Amino acid sequence: MARLEDIPQPTRDAVANAACPSFEATPFVSGPPLAERRVAIVSSAALIRRNDTPFSFGSAEVRLLPVDVPLGDLLVSHVSINFDRSGYQRDINTVCPIERLRELAAQGIVGSVAATHYTVMGSTDPSTMEGSADQISGQLRQERVDAVLLTPV
Amino acid sequence: MLEARGTPAVAIGLVRPQMERTRPPRGLWTPFQLGRPLGEPGDAEFQRRVLMQALGLLERRDGPVILEDFPDDPPNWWDTPGWRPPSSLAIETPDSPAGWAAALEREMTALHPAWQRACARYGRTTIGLSGQAPELWPACIAQFLAGELPTVAPHETAALTLRFLCDDIKAMYSEAAQADGRPPSSRQIDAWFWSATIAGRLLIALRSMALQSENNALKTVGGRFFVPAPFLPPG
Repeated sequence: MARLEDIPQPTRDAVANAACPSFEATPFVSGPPLAERRVAIVSSAALIRRNDTPFSFGSAEVRLLPVDVPLGDLLVSHVSINFDRSGYQRDINTVCPIERLRELAAQGIVGSVAATHYTVMGSTDPSTMEGSADQISGQLRQERVDAVLLTPV
Repeated sequence: MLEARGTPAVAIGLVRPQMERTRPPRGLWTPFQLGRPLGEPGDAEFQRRVLMQALGLLERRDGPVILEDFPDDPPNWWDTPGWRPPSSLAIETPDSPAGWAAALEREMTALHPAWQRACARYGRTTIGLSGQAPELWPACIAQFLAGELPTVAPHETAALTLRFLCDDIKAMYSEAAQADGRPPSSRQIDAWFWSATIAGRLLIALRSMALQSENNALKTVGGRFFVPAPFLPPG
């Protein structure tokens, strides 16, 4: 098993007690069937392309990943050292399922894959990321994306 | 935040209490270790099941907060019996920067064949955050241990130069550990790296150096981001 109780201390308590944002509103938007949706991924792994500058600690920026980004060039630059990287070292889909999503689109299970995916620094306080949320949202509208998958590390 | 701006979203989450507090419109909790939201590397069918269950929540209309649990553990969570480390040089604790550099170089040389096999097996390397080729690492490490504060592009500070160099060293060893056969668990890799390699000892020594540095950025970064909390030396 791999549950909270399996995380070694003191990381377990830090994770369990981490400050989480609370949102007063609970927006809920419906859409067409999955087979008609265009899907984008937002990964909080702070992914960069090889030779790019890593995300900085506390960065509120978003970086755009073109759908055809070479997967062998994607590196995790997340600030935390307290999560496993061996899975992603073997297979980038473990953190950002770009290939799996392409397969679902090819099989018609989802309508299509967006032209752009997105990545942010997952440890950053979300209250500082309104600007990035606006940027992502604008690009999503421009590409007529109507489904987003958020993946953590 | 995206839902409020008009786009339906579903979140995968690895820490259930965090999802319960955050209350996303749609959330799938996956009982996998931190760093593996899709579960099993190299297992497309397993990842597909996770992805399908997550995306399936987008068709539900019984919001505004839906939280589901993925039912299965990943198939290879347990340690791999019989796994053997890719190198087993005698542990040393050199007493000089040049000694550490030479010891690291010896160990990296011993690991190199396994690391090359891993690169071939997985089609890539995740080394690259430091901006330096591996053959430059030992000399850079020696500079830090000698009290210098080199800054190497693309990084803007010595602290980040060393932090990402530590990340690259860990990546090389972890990749080499997964070169052959059924890969070890992450626990096996960590146990080997932090208790049985010169590089593990070196990173702990670098952390001690950073904590005594007058460079506040290096002190902070070294204290928090060189050695994971479970492997910090006592005291």
